[in-house]
Amino acid sequence: MAEGMGVGAAVRRREDERLLKGRGRFTGDIALVGMKDIALVRSPLAHARIRAIRVPPEHQGAVFTWADLAKGGVKPIRAVSGLPGFKISDQPPLADGKVRFVGEPVAACVGRTRAEAEDIAALVEIDFEELPVNADTLESARAPKSKIHDHWSDNLFLEADTVVGDIETIAASAPIKVSRQIRMARQCMVPLEGKGVVAVWERQAEQLTVHTSTQMPHIVRQGLAECLGVDQGLIRVIAPDVGGGFGWKGLLQAEEVIAAWLARALDHPVRWTEDRREHLVAAANAREHRYDITAYADATGRLLGLDARVLVDAGAYSAYPFSACLEVGQVGSILPGPYDFAHYRCHAVSVCTNKPPIVPYRGVARTGVCFAIEQIMDAIAGAVGREPHEVRLLNLVPPEKMPFVNVTKKHFDSGDYPESMRRAVAAIDLAGIRKRQKKGEADGRRIGLGLAIYCEQAGHGTAVYHGWGIPMVPGHELAQARITPDGGIEIRVGLQSHGQSMETTLAQVAHQVLGVDISKIKVVHGDTGLTPFSTGTWGSRAAVMGGGAVAAACKVLVERATKIGAHLLQAKPGDAKFENGFVRAGLGHVPLAEIARVWYRAPQLLPSDVDPGGLDVTAGYKPKSDQGTFSYASHAVVVAVDTETGAVEILDYVVVEDAGVMLNPMVVEGQVLGGIAQGIGTALYEEVPFDAEGQPLASTFADYLVPGFPEIPPIRIVHMTTPSPLTEFGQKGIGEGGAIAPPAAICNAINDALKPLGATLTDTPMSPKRVFAAIAAAVPPVGGPTNGRRVTPLGVHSHDDSLAAGNKP
Amino acid sequence: MKNLALGVNGKKIAASVEPRTHLGDFLREQQLLTATHLGCEHGVCGACTVLLDGRPVRSCITLAVACEGGQVTTLEGLVNDPVMIELREAFAAEHGLQCGFCTPGMLVSARDLVLRKPAADDRAVRIEMSGNLCRCTGYGGIVRAIRRVLDARKKTKT
Repeated sequence: MAEGMGVGAAVRRREDERLLKGRGRFTGDIALVGMKDIALVRSPLAHARIRAIRVPPEHQGAVFTWADLAKGGVKPIRAVSGLPGFKISDQPPLADGKVRFVGEPVAACVGRTRAEAEDIAALVEIDFEELPVNADTLESARAPKSKIHDHWSDNLFLEADTVVGDIETIAASAPIKVSRQIRMARQCMVPLEGKGVVAVWERQAEQLTVHTSTQMPHIVRQGLAECLGVDQGLIRVIAPDVGGGFGWKGLLQAEEVIAAWLARALDHPVRWTEDRREHLVAAANAREHRYDITAYADATGRLLGLDARVLVDAGAYSAYPFSACLEVGQVGSILPGPYDFAHYRCHAVSVCTNKPPIVPYRGVARTGVCFAIEQIMDAIAGAVGREPHEVRLLNLVPPEKMPFVNVTKKHFDSGDYPESMRRAVAAIDLAGIRKRQKKGEADGRRIGLGLAIYCEQAGHGTAVYHGWGIPMVPGHELAQARITPDGGIEIRVGLQSHGQSMETTLAQVAHQVLGVDISKIKVVHGDTGLTPFSTGTWGSRAAVMGGGAVAAACKVLVERATKIGAHLLQAKPGDAKFENGFVRAGLGHVPLAEIARVWYRAPQLLPSDVDPGGLDVTAGYKPKSDQGTFSYASHAVVVAVDTETGAVEILDYVVVEDAGVMLNPMVVEGQVLGGIAQGIGTALYEEVPFDAEGQPLASTFADYLVPGFPEIPPIRIVHMTTPSPLTEFGQKGIGEGGAIAPPAAICNAINDALKPLGATLTDTPMSPKRVFAAIAAAVPPVGGPTNGRRVTPLGVHSHDDSLAAGNKP
Repeated sequence: MKNLALGVNGKKIAASVEPRTHLGDFLREQQLLTATHLGCEHGVCGACTVLLDGRPVRSCITLAVACEGGQVTTLEGLVNDPVMIELREAFAAEHGLQCGFCTPGMLVSARDLVLRKPAADDRAVRIEMSGNLCRCTGYGGIVRAIRRVLDARKKTKT
């Protein structure tokens, strides 16, 4: 670990002081004079036409519908993808004649308090004409009950095919063929702080200020300007302290448009605060993938080809800016994982249903993709009679092939994937677990070991995004660096830090370049009025892009300061050098603070040809290739399964990860651990189920289970460090990684435990009910034990709904 | 509206509240004490935990009018509390927070645990803290932070 406070040091966080005293300022903490609260009337139906909206006469003027917004010039949210065949849909911030999911906002009510606004909302009557509901992904794709967007021919946003090599020939000749049908449930992201907006028309600035809990203030400003039909210069978006995002705060939200419009129309500040029920019912949905996947291998387990049909349930609308094509686009391109093989076919469909739009959640499609391919790798291992890690080692891209371009043209930049797997297997003590399995457990539970490996493209930019034609294509990342008159440093970035510790890590980067004590470096972020443009914090990009940009801006400061310093030392610029906060020449040196003093307060001492831009610069950064860095990790887990109850306990969890050079190892470990906890939630607990009428069945934390202290085991982290050749310090993006592999590793561990019973799980969450059902449905292998109970629990349905074309009407 | 008299962070407060107003809203909206965060408003996540007469309660499912005559202590009122000072130091050292939204409730519960169960092992810490949800940290840093405080207090006692 590096000494000091620069890159690589486990520096304590600058953010902690205020947060630990409860002195953070979240959107809900902002109180403005004359501010009123908004409560939304939301649709109780998943699919219906609105015949009439009736507002009690005494509340006319406090209730607003789409008619008011449209009259005021508001346009629907529209996130279009340029991918061929993508169907365009409009999302009016308040329903325009039709509702398409339960929880869709229909009317906005304004009151002196939220309680009063909710009282008004309760009195608004909506006359609906119910329409047939498309709640099920498969049904909406194949046999829709109705059209969700009337002008479409079906309920599909996009169908995308990826074909490389010749899968048919491989299929005809491969000795090993294994197939799985796999489903990852719909989830909710659940940052502990819900979304919130406080909007105010600033009379003196003649500007609409929108305080909002967002990961991407500049993109929200862009989207608001488009929807409100005003210049971007008229809008300032400020993200104050933001209580977690995980993707849910990486979009333009209907409520942001509503609040922004109301603040201007009513000429007083308004606030909308998402409550937990709104969050769980109407928003923040993610995942919901179905895979019908077949792998072909030779008799040793060498992967020859992969063939998959995938459905992503994107919900009712195309969320801005990522659109309803992001996940299917990712599925097609990243399903091959970290493996080296030549023949690949993937048919991926983004299905429109009467459910909330999905938004990219930490890991985005990778969590589903890893869940699918890592189950298939275990299936291959089972078919060829080898240990799962042996089959993986046979197929992982080896270090000597790095950098490597894979079957879908992903540019893996660096790393030793097999070594991470070997270390994970050693750390989890595979041999010891196999012995223990033979012996059996005293308490009668069955233990199993599961593995998963992935690589995570992060910090990817223009090269990847421009092809999708969505409203946001990241280019150069900008940072502003300024030396203050007293020699302090201000760093300004358009990113937003909501737990990622950028107020610390980006200060470490500035310290690394400038040598100024970190306590004198202030990082300003999340405010379009104060920072240069950025697409924001998403895609594990901040360390790579923000880190690079801050370093670039600080380097310009070094150049300028060196020139002034040389002059003050009466040396030629070429004879002076910048070192640790000082310009040195010969025996003399001058500190940055003195250079700053001269620039701001004694300009008569400056060289005549000084750069008039002074000690305040904006610089841009792009990695050598913006195909992205590829961090990677192997996860190994041991579980105990109670075959009587279906309960699963995690006994041990090891992750071997490679984030390249870590800006701050403490922060990286925090990101990894937090991600794993979310991944464990995906694996074992979290699901937003819907009934046939599209009613969400988990609307409180009593129904939607977020893992707590007892559910998350101690997790062991092993670091590997392969610097990325593409980035400023060799760092790689890793923010999402932890959330990718746990469902796959835990599923493989449960299946390993249940193998002697012939039971296989393929779906998340692997709840006691699902585990129990799998055991009950199992056909034990010949000669295998029979201690799984053969009872069909109530309410459990087997699903045989293959995605293969033709086997369903 | 009902008249309400209670102590908040050692100060006597006389206020007028609707019977339906919960303690969390009362503290945040009327007293402008925003350290207390509302994470679910149905008594599960623990972010809004405050002390009522010295005991942790979830302010989102405690009606303000039910606190008549009581003493409410929020995180703001614990800034100079010796256990809280130790916890803050330990949370920073062990990376026990990321976004910081769950942190006030986490700290109030952790302080209660440190005082009530000084001999708690890690398993007991996890069970005692199971009424507080965190979505960022994966809990490891929080458990280590509480461990650090428990161990340090044991040492100073012996």
